[in-house]
Amino acid sequence: MRSRAGEDEFPHLPLHLVLVLATLVAVYPVLWVFTIALSGQQSLAIADLPSDPTVWDRLRAIVPWPKTVTLSNFTSVVTDQPFAQWMLNSAIVAILTTIVGVFLACTAAYAFARFRFPGRQAGMMSFLVSQMFPGTLMLIPLYIILVKWLNLGSSRIGLILVYATTAIPFCVWMLKGYFDTIPKELEEAAVIDGATPSTIFWRIVLPLAKPAVAVTALFSFMTGWNEFIIAATVMDKETMYTAPVGLRFFVGGFSQQWGYFAAGAIIVSIPVVALFLFLQKYLVSGLTAGSVKG
Amino acid sequence: MSARAGDAPERPPSHRLRFAVGLLVASALAVGVGYRLLDGALAQGARSAEDRRANVAIRALAEVVDRAGVTGDAVRAAVAAWAKDHPQQAAIKVVAFDGLSLEASTDPADTGDEAAPRRLRREEKDLYDRGQRLRAAVETNRAEGASRKDEVERARLADGSLSIAAPLEKDGAVVGLVQVQRRPPPPVKPPSWLTALSYVAVPVAVFLLAGLVVGERRAVLGVLAVVLLAGTVWGYGAQSAAKLERGRRAVEEGIAGIVRDEGAKASAILASLSLPAEPPLDPARWDADAFRRPYGVVRSDGSVDEAKVAASAARDRTAVRNALLLVGGVSLAVLLFVGLGGASAFVRTVRTNRVAYTYVLPAMAGMVVLVFFPFLYGIAISFTDSTIYNTNAPLTDIWVGFKNYVSILSDFHVATRDADGTLVFNYLNFYWTLWVTVAWTVTNVTIGVTVGLFLALVLNTKGLALKPVYRVLLILPWAMPNYITALIWKGMFHQQFGVVNQVIQIFGGSPVSWFETPFTSFLTALATNGWLSFPFMMVVSLGALQSIPSDLYEAARVDGASRWQQFTGITLPSLKPALVPAIILSVVWTFNMFNIIYLVTQGEPGGSTEILITQAYKFAFEKYRYGYAAAYSTVIFGILVVYGTFQNRVTRATEGI
Repeated sequence: MRSRAGEDEFPHLPLHLVLVLATLVAVYPVLWVFTIALSGQQSLAIADLPSDPTVWDRLRAIVPWPKTVTLSNFTSVVTDQPFAQWMLNSAIVAILTTIVGVFLACTAAYAFARFRFPGRQAGMMSFLVSQMFPGTLMLIPLYIILVKWLNLGSSRIGLILVYATTAIPFCVWMLKGYFDTIPKELEEAAVIDGATPSTIFWRIVLPLAKPAVAVTALFSFMTGWNEFIIAATVMDKETMYTAPVGLRFFVGGFSQQWGYFAAGAIIVSIPVVALFLFLQKYLVSGLTAGSVKG
Repeated sequence: MSARAGDAPERPPSHRLRFAVGLLVASALAVGVGYRLLDGALAQGARSAEDRRANVAIRALAEVVDRAGVTGDAVRAAVAAWAKDHPQQAAIKVVAFDGLSLEASTDPADTGDEAAPRRLRREEKDLYDRGQRLRAAVETNRAEGASRKDEVERARLADGSLSIAAPLEKDGAVVGLVQVQRRPPPPVKPPSWLTALSYVAVPVAVFLLAGLVVGERRAVLGVLAVVLLAGTVWGYGAQSAAKLERGRRAVEEGIAGIVRDEGAKASAILASLSLPAEPPLDPARWDADAFRRPYGVVRSDGSVDEAKVAASAARDRTAVRNALLLVGGVSLAVLLFVGLGGASAFVRTVRTNRVAYTYVLPAMAGMVVLVFFPFLYGIAISFTDSTIYNTNAPLTDIWVGFKNYVSILSDFHVATRDADGTLVFNYLNFYWTLWVTVAWTVTNVTIGVTVGLFLALVLNTKGLALKPVYRVLLILPWAMPNYITALIWKGMFHQQFGVVNQVIQIFGGSPVSWFETPFTSFLTALATNGWLSFPFMMVVSLGALQSIPSDLYEAARVDGASRWQQFTGITLPSLKPALVPAIILSVVWTFNMFNIIYLVTQGEPGGSTEILITQAYKFAFEKYRYGYAAAYSTVIFGILVVYGTFQNRVTRATEGI
């Protein structure tokens, strides 16, 4: 039974069963959103139940397929609602957050990985500890600083700065772990060839760290694209809402526009999900490189 | 500079020089800040004095116009006489609501065709609106028996002059308004900078002279510098306090004089126009706040109530003392930093590590301004009684010390027994919420790690078909924005239309109203968070699994190890370096997982499923108890730090950074 080539493999069929079941659980809520979005209605029921429903009626009500397929929810959410403007705000905020955040994180992480200087330990620890700062503690001071002192209320710049900095600690830790794995000999060779520190950083280290930089970018983008508490606190004007703040309005409080919400949710999710899936191979290597120290 | 300049760089540092520079910087800082504070306080005092003077004058004028009957020639005569007595008042306008008429005006624009009386023009609508606001304010305050809306409106114009308006009354009803635009008062003289400079120069000079005698004796120099700095701070503070008190007394005397003066002028006008002089005027009541409540500092006989002045002077002194302590503490720290060699060591370090600091600086600067500073500011708020009503008050005025912490942590009334013996939990209690949070974190992380690791092991099987497809689909929950996930699951747990209840009914159960008992409500959040958090653990485990060299397993198999032995002997130890940091990370994330609780259960029922972070949010943004919420958040931070330290001890996860 046990052979040298390692064929004591588990039969694949039960494994497939487990995976199919898990996948169904993982995908069902997503299909549900699509169903609601395509139904053209605002109700959150997939099918209307008769007063005395049979088991089949109930089964129909959980199968994620709408009775009639229409794109009306999508078209009205984009045209009737100020949703397009909110998407644009979110896009600007998230893209600039990514650029600023990645730049700041890369430079800092490089210094932490390559140089030994007083304050290095304290700096890294303070970044780590800052991950434990409760958001509720920061919200009121942030509001005061952004809106009252810097006069950046209802402005995208304020949000970009806040998101870029809040993403820094995680990104720095991850990048630093990756930079540590890049052999120092490469840089030493470059120094002998007369390269300056900035050439080494831009031309040698950064290209080698592409996977980690990609994860950093993804993380910064998701921070900017998904955050909604700070945005809801700082953005007063309706035209300046980001998509998450706007989406919440469809199903928050007294409004129950599940159709608009579902259509909006799909539109909002597509960029992040696509980016995420595209970059996921980097994600695995980036995350493990960051945590397993070389 | 030392006479030995030019020696080897290793020469011993000059303590005299360091302490002298330290004293210079520290005292300049202290006196500079003190100067700014004093300047601000004087300007503020001058503004409030001008406000009070304006208030006395307009109330006197309103009294005269009221007695002149609000409309008619008598009003115009009274206003003309008033304007002659008061060159300070550039434009006086009287508006009667009845007929929308401008009854009297001394505005140079209102002459000839435009002379009063006439109807208000369209451009003068703001005048009318102002009157309506005053009428509404008076009526509201009367109806509520409270003082909530301003009954005298002040607006400061761009040139520093004050436009002030008061209601006119007839038989208890507001029938018009009188508005005065005053000429800007002479600018306030700023405090003397020569005095301020001498408070810096004298101690430094004294120190330098004394330094010649003392020599390079570090302890003596240090004590001397600290004593001189203390003298500077105390001296400038005392001088400022005295100046403020003199200013306050002068203001009160001045107001009393104005009250007497306006009373006399008003009586004279009433007499000359033979307007009713009964009931007698009570000018002391004119020195009042915006709700027309007298301050009571000026007595009816026109003298000043000493006790009240002394009380407000005492308040000034307390404010000065608080500022002194703060400024003194900071400048002392600066002095010791420079004096004991910290500054020069700092400069040296920065110079040698120039490149490294250049790379760290941008990120660090951002972090300091938008993360560390807000954090410290938040902690400062936690020691105050800050609410929505006093957001503009300086923190020292609403300082309450540890009161918020005590009231959070010393309240152990988690549960009480009802009359029939059942336990009733107090869901707002900190310890209840803490318990919910711990349960929430432990269950979530356990589920995440178990499911994630299990699926990773399954996916890691060699030669499994469709592996990439499964992987992509299983990562989907992580890729979705979590606020969307939360709202989706909330919809799926809807009692009537939710999919979950439909499934239960297929199996013959009856629909559950998920958000009506704490346990089921907790389950909804758990399901949501479990769903969105297992992919992270799966991805981390999968990555680590793939990096385990397969010859390890082959060697184990050669040695006859069972599959379980391989798992515990090879797989788990190899996963540890990747899994431990991931677990630490996800404990912190879950502990502070705001979105799920806030959007899915919303704390229902009755706040029972609130976790600490959402509870803190509700205290801040639904009950507007900022100070209390900040203290609550600080406690959360404390818990996480204790956890992190403990975890770090156990796992040494951050070793070798």
